[in-house]
Amino acid sequence: MSKKTINIPLGSQHISLLEPVRFKFECENEKIITVDSDVGFVHRGIERACTTKFKFDAIGYVVARVCGLCAITHSLSYTAAIEKLLGGEITAKSKYLRILLLELDRIHSHMLCLSHTCENAGFEAMFMRIMGDRELVMEIQELLTGNRIQFDYISIGGVNRDISSEISKKIIANLYEVKQRALGYMDEFTNNWSLSLKFKGIGALSLDDAYMLNAIGPLARASGLNIDVRNEIEYLPFDEVGFKMQTHRDGDINARNLVRLNEIINSIEMCNNILEGLPEGAIFTKLKGKPKGEAVIRFEAPRGELMYYVKGNGTAMLERVRIKTPTFSCIPAFSHIFVGENYADAPAILASFDPCLSCTAK
Amino acid sequence: MFTSLIKAFTNLFKKPQTIDYPLTPILKDKEYRGLIEYGEASCIYCLKCEKACPPGSILFVPVENPPENEKNKKGLQYHYNPYLCIYCGECVRACPKPDEALWQSNKKPSIAIKSDKVNEDWFVLEKLKKEE
Amino acid sequence: MKKIKVSLEDITNEIQGFYDYKKWHFLTLNGLALEDNKLEVQWIFSKYEALDEIVIYYAEIEYKDIIASIVDIIPSAIISQRELVDMFGVQVEGSSKGLYLDEDSLQAPLSGCSI
Repeated sequence: MSKKTINIPLGSQHISLLEPVRFKFECENEKIITVDSDVGFVHRGIERACTTKFKFDAIGYVVARVCGLCAITHSLSYTAAIEKLLGGEITAKSKYLRILLLELDRIHSHMLCLSHTCENAGFEAMFMRIMGDRELVMEIQELLTGNRIQFDYISIGGVNRDISSEISKKIIANLYEVKQRALGYMDEFTNNWSLSLKFKGIGALSLDDAYMLNAIGPLARASGLNIDVRNEIEYLPFDEVGFKMQTHRDGDINARNLVRLNEIINSIEMCNNILEGLPEGAIFTKLKGKPKGEAVIRFEAPRGELMYYVKGNGTAMLERVRIKTPTFSCIPAFSHIFVGENYADAPAILASFDPCLSCTAK
Repeated sequence: MFTSLIKAFTNLFKKPQTIDYPLTPILKDKEYRGLIEYGEASCIYCLKCEKACPPGSILFVPVENPPENEKNKKGLQYHYNPYLCIYCGECVRACPKPDEALWQSNKKPSIAIKSDKVNEDWFVLEKLKKEE
Repeated sequence: MKKIKVSLEDITNEIQGFYDYKKWHFLTLNGLALEDNKLEVQWIFSKYEALDEIVIYYAEIEYKDIIASIVDIIPSAIISQRELVDMFGVQVEGSSKGLYLDEDSLQAPLSGCSI
């Protein structure tokens, strides 16, 4: 008897998706055998807008609108590239404040992903709990930057707002609370049947495949690949504030969740270290001139490595802005992981990748 | 099992996470970023805010009856579009006299309806600016 | 940042000789519109666990040239190649159009020549 396959789509509108993406699965009974993906539903042409519509000093705010969740990494990468081209040095205090906001952003983004994983496991109550606790982080971000989602905190030459002692007290208090909750989640994610056993061995990516497919971010670190851009750049002093690489060996959904939880705890430690030893000084230095030359800048966004390539020609308009987003380079790895899994597991696997499609399509 | 039962029981009497808006007002910190406000008397018409604004939501357009200010030699008038503004505060940082001529409040814009013609009026101003 | 110029014919051989998948991480493919209807294509790599070590292979081509695919060496390059096809309107072996753009959208938005 010849084997018959059926095509089942997932998306572009689906109950388990936060953003529009379409996967076309070819299934044999329950098993997925081939995957085809379509990711361009929210393409807005930001790369072209950056070189035709805006001057270089406004683009920091334009690229922040690529994605709501990792807005800060986008504007930071672009600003760092321009600072490299202008050849200026920014103050130590503004560097530490940049790391502080970057890590707060990572905490809330990972919490969103974890809550979403719970929801796809059918654990609504846990979803509500994590989303409720996420407000603690959102609150301090709002206090620090003055806005809830679009922080617009980083500008060329430093940061826009100083931190007061009341705000830093509030941050320490809230982060202490978040840490207690995160340790509680750690217990749930390792011992609760619906969150750990159900996820063990599902959607696994081996270390060799992670190397082969150039996986990045928590997806690669869960497979044991030591890739974290915070370890590979010297622009911001991550080693001084206590950065530790978090890896796991299993490579399945459970491993990814645990890597994210460990990163939340590490990020909280980093934030506390920054606030304890924050140097005095100015938060802004004025940089003069027009960007000329080319620069490649990488940063670790919550979902993995973000790369900016900027080329200027000495005028206010740039020649090229290339944005390589984390989810974009993970798509080959995503498609690889789906092959051989059950169709019923697909939403849970997809949620564990933490895909960001507005980043991908830009 | 026992702890989860206690938790489930206490959760029944917990207040919800959300606020009962609009009955309870949302707490606003005074440092939150909101509308840009303008003090005409202190403005020196250097037009730095207009150049600094990323989306171009501040325009100085020549009018027939300009506000009386000795610094205003070209007869310009300040226009601000709160619906185009991204509240980044670049204009306030560019302003040579912040807090007197231009500052950021924590207010939010009112909801615009079709009869307000926010877009149409703004397009007219943008056209005037281009022709200048 | 190290830039190495290669010709279009040699690119697969060069990358085959250079790329060790446990040492080098393939970042992305990048296009850059030059004057006189030319295009610079860049293959960007970074080294694992090294501080800021980036290598860029680049080739100057014309829009009508067909770019060799490196999918046999680096499987994850397929997505970058499809993006290059969409954004610049060039041809890359084995990479189809339509990752981001639809039929009715602006074609090849980042190419230097007029559309």
